[in-house]
Amino acid sequence: MCFKNLPIEFDAQGKPFLRAGVADPYGPSSAGPRGAPAQLTAERIEDLLKRNGYIKDLDFDPVTRVAGALAFHTVADFQGRKVLEARSMATLFRGYEVIMIGRDPRDAIFITSRACGVCGGVHSVTSAMAIEMAIGCVPPPLGILIRNIALALEFLYDHPLHLHLLAGPDYSAAMVGPTNPSLLARARSAEAPHAEIHGFRTIGELMEDLNPLSGKLYLEALHMTRVAREAYVLICGKYPHPQTIVPGGMSSTVTLTVMNEMFIRLAQFFDYSKKLAAIWDDLTEFFYEANPAYKQVGARRANLIDTGIFDHPDAYDATYASATAWGERRWATPGVIMDSQLVTTDLHALNIGIEEFVEHSYYEEWSGSGQRQRFPTDPVGNPLSPYHPWNKVTKPRPQGQNWKEKYTWDTAPRWDRQAMEAGAYARLWNTAVARKLPANPFIEATGTSLKLRLPKGALPELELEWKVPAVWNAFERNRARAYCTGFTALVALNNWLAAMDRLKQGDTRTSTPFEIPKRGEQRGVGFWGAGRGFLTHHLTLDRGAVANYQIVTPSTWNASPTDRWQQPGPYEEAVLNTPLLEETDDPVKFKGIDILRAIRSFDPCMPCTTHIHSDAGVITRK
Amino acid sequence: MRVIVAGVGYRNLRDHSVGIAVADRLLDHAWGGDVVVEDLSYNPIAVMQRLEDEPPERRFTRAVMVGAVERGNRPPGTVAAYRWDGVLPSDEEIQRAVSEAVTGVIALDNTLVVTRHFGGLPEDVVVIEVEPGVQAFGDEFSESVARVVDQVCELAVTMATDAGAAARLPRGPLGGARPAAAGHGLG
Repeated sequence: MCFKNLPIEFDAQGKPFLRAGVADPYGPSSAGPRGAPAQLTAERIEDLLKRNGYIKDLDFDPVTRVAGALAFHTVADFQGRKVLEARSMATLFRGYEVIMIGRDPRDAIFITSRACGVCGGVHSVTSAMAIEMAIGCVPPPLGILIRNIALALEFLYDHPLHLHLLAGPDYSAAMVGPTNPSLLARARSAEAPHAEIHGFRTIGELMEDLNPLSGKLYLEALHMTRVAREAYVLICGKYPHPQTIVPGGMSSTVTLTVMNEMFIRLAQFFDYSKKLAAIWDDLTEFFYEANPAYKQVGARRANLIDTGIFDHPDAYDATYASATAWGERRWATPGVIMDSQLVTTDLHALNIGIEEFVEHSYYEEWSGSGQRQRFPTDPVGNPLSPYHPWNKVTKPRPQGQNWKEKYTWDTAPRWDRQAMEAGAYARLWNTAVARKLPANPFIEATGTSLKLRLPKGALPELELEWKVPAVWNAFERNRARAYCTGFTALVALNNWLAAMDRLKQGDTRTSTPFEIPKRGEQRGVGFWGAGRGFLTHHLTLDRGAVANYQIVTPSTWNASPTDRWQQPGPYEEAVLNTPLLEETDDPVKFKGIDILRAIRSFDPCMPCTTHIHSDAGVITRK
Repeated sequence: MRVIVAGVGYRNLRDHSVGIAVADRLLDHAWGGDVVVEDLSYNPIAVMQRLEDEPPERRFTRAVMVGAVERGNRPPGTVAAYRWDGVLPSDEEIQRAVSEAVTGVIALDNTLVVTRHFGGLPEDVVVIEVEPGVQAFGDEFSESVARVVDQVCELAVTMATDAGAAARLPRGPLGGARPAAAGHGLG
């Protein structure tokens, strides 16, 4: 049974049902998550601040080198070198749900794309999938394959961007020198074990080339984002907001020529993936060896969630009823990892376990006494919480910031009441452990690892192996992201080969005609993923128009605030566990690098989280 | 002289779309010289790469960059034109600009900083800014901005075709020599 906290049990056929005899199964007094950490109370923190001069507020506003507006408040004990309080703040209102109400659902594909300047196409496809589930429209096989390739190409833009433009500089000589001079000195004489792959003789040389603006790795990442973007544009027309995504597939015309031009670009990522994995292996092991306390930077329980991505054309039928079956045929397996153990790969269980809370968010409750729960069950009769996205109503309520009350525009999504983390690594972990990968020559799931056989390029053919890590922290997030580049490139390769087969057989159809029903009520959900992980769009249609639209992004999970049980959100928990290893006691020189490493390892994307909209208009920049 | 006239902004964002609207209109202009008009409203890193794609002998020698920039210290509809001195902010600010660029922010200042830092822009850059009044979804300008669109188009044409015209503009840092109507004030 995958639920430990929600009052849901399963019958002999595996059908979930609400446990009998629970008076108010989802009410505010219902059971909280077992074994979850809790923030200290605001009163306790105030008392500690008053009584100890070495305990100080430490604020990051804004957190730079992340997408969008994120602020972070901590209270740090500079004597004990630890963090006592951590509060994650999305500082702009999320409003796409409000914008969508009453519109033609087809608008959602183009409007929700604008939620993000990196993964716009991902939102478009998720939206299209929610619509096709609601209206009953299945893309043709080639449409599914091209959609998979397009998603992979978006990730091949996103992964280098995260690794070497946003998070990478935290490990550069320019950053390590001022914060940990002894570490940089050690790095300069530490030989890099994988020099023959990445070309850097020492870790110090590698750190030099991670330097922002001038480092070779930084500049190379900028170039690689172009390669991925060009490949994407060849099949989707435009990036990051394609006009070719439709319910039931893609509206673009795909030919052998297009596929070959795209492949030339994709192939460049085979060698690049080898290099990324080698770099992040060497960096990670160097830090661990230099000081094992780095294993605690950004550490938290390995509670991960992912919807799975990359559909199999023989399995995907766009129905909710079959979601369990087609979900498990995906190239990245859906799943929930709880305390490092895979507890489900069932998209139904994953879906019904989601709740979104707003106790510390600038929203009004939509559920409570006297308020009707819109959908007590999902479309196949499984129980749903009143806090589930299909039942959620977005009711923004701006007010003053108060740690005891409300302090962020992000909500607190939880699965089985636990704070879950989304990320590319969740898809690696699920896929490695579940062993449900389609048969293929390039990727092998062993149960404890993923083996990635990358073809020969300028570098020889190479088998990488990403192993499920023993610890879960900032370094492992980045390392997994590096390996995920190879995984993504190989999924794209598998789908490219399948698409070429289709084209050779004369199967060029990429979309299925559809009509939006003008009567009745329909529900759909897009289960998809961004480079950063988990993405869902939950949609309700009423007489042809959007009656409710709810988006849960990876950063909605990761940046979430403390919940009604005082359980911190993932950034908060990771920062609370982070030791302050910076080599200075001078608060003026203190940069908070370890805290920033912890936060940036999640690859925050606040436009996705908060959807930058205000009553006064759209905020394009703050 | 080979010139690119570029609009930068967001479509359907009322006054903030003025740069794109100007570029759209000038696409049909009967240009006498070697002038290219483009909408450069996308990731500034990609803009830099697009500018660098010009073969060395065909590189642009002047860029006329048009867009809405909210400085907040001048009335809506103010038009300010200046030759950018090309001086870049600190490395930290450039990093921030790059981070914003790759994560989807489209803003005239950002585009200038990123494309200058990585060497995509020509030396000779004329910036034409319009102070927006309204930030909301829609394709209509506020009255203040609607009133100056024709003038901005004329100014962009002059700057793109008259080699000496730009020399008469004040040269200044990002944002112009002085904040309000200090450049070619037409507002």
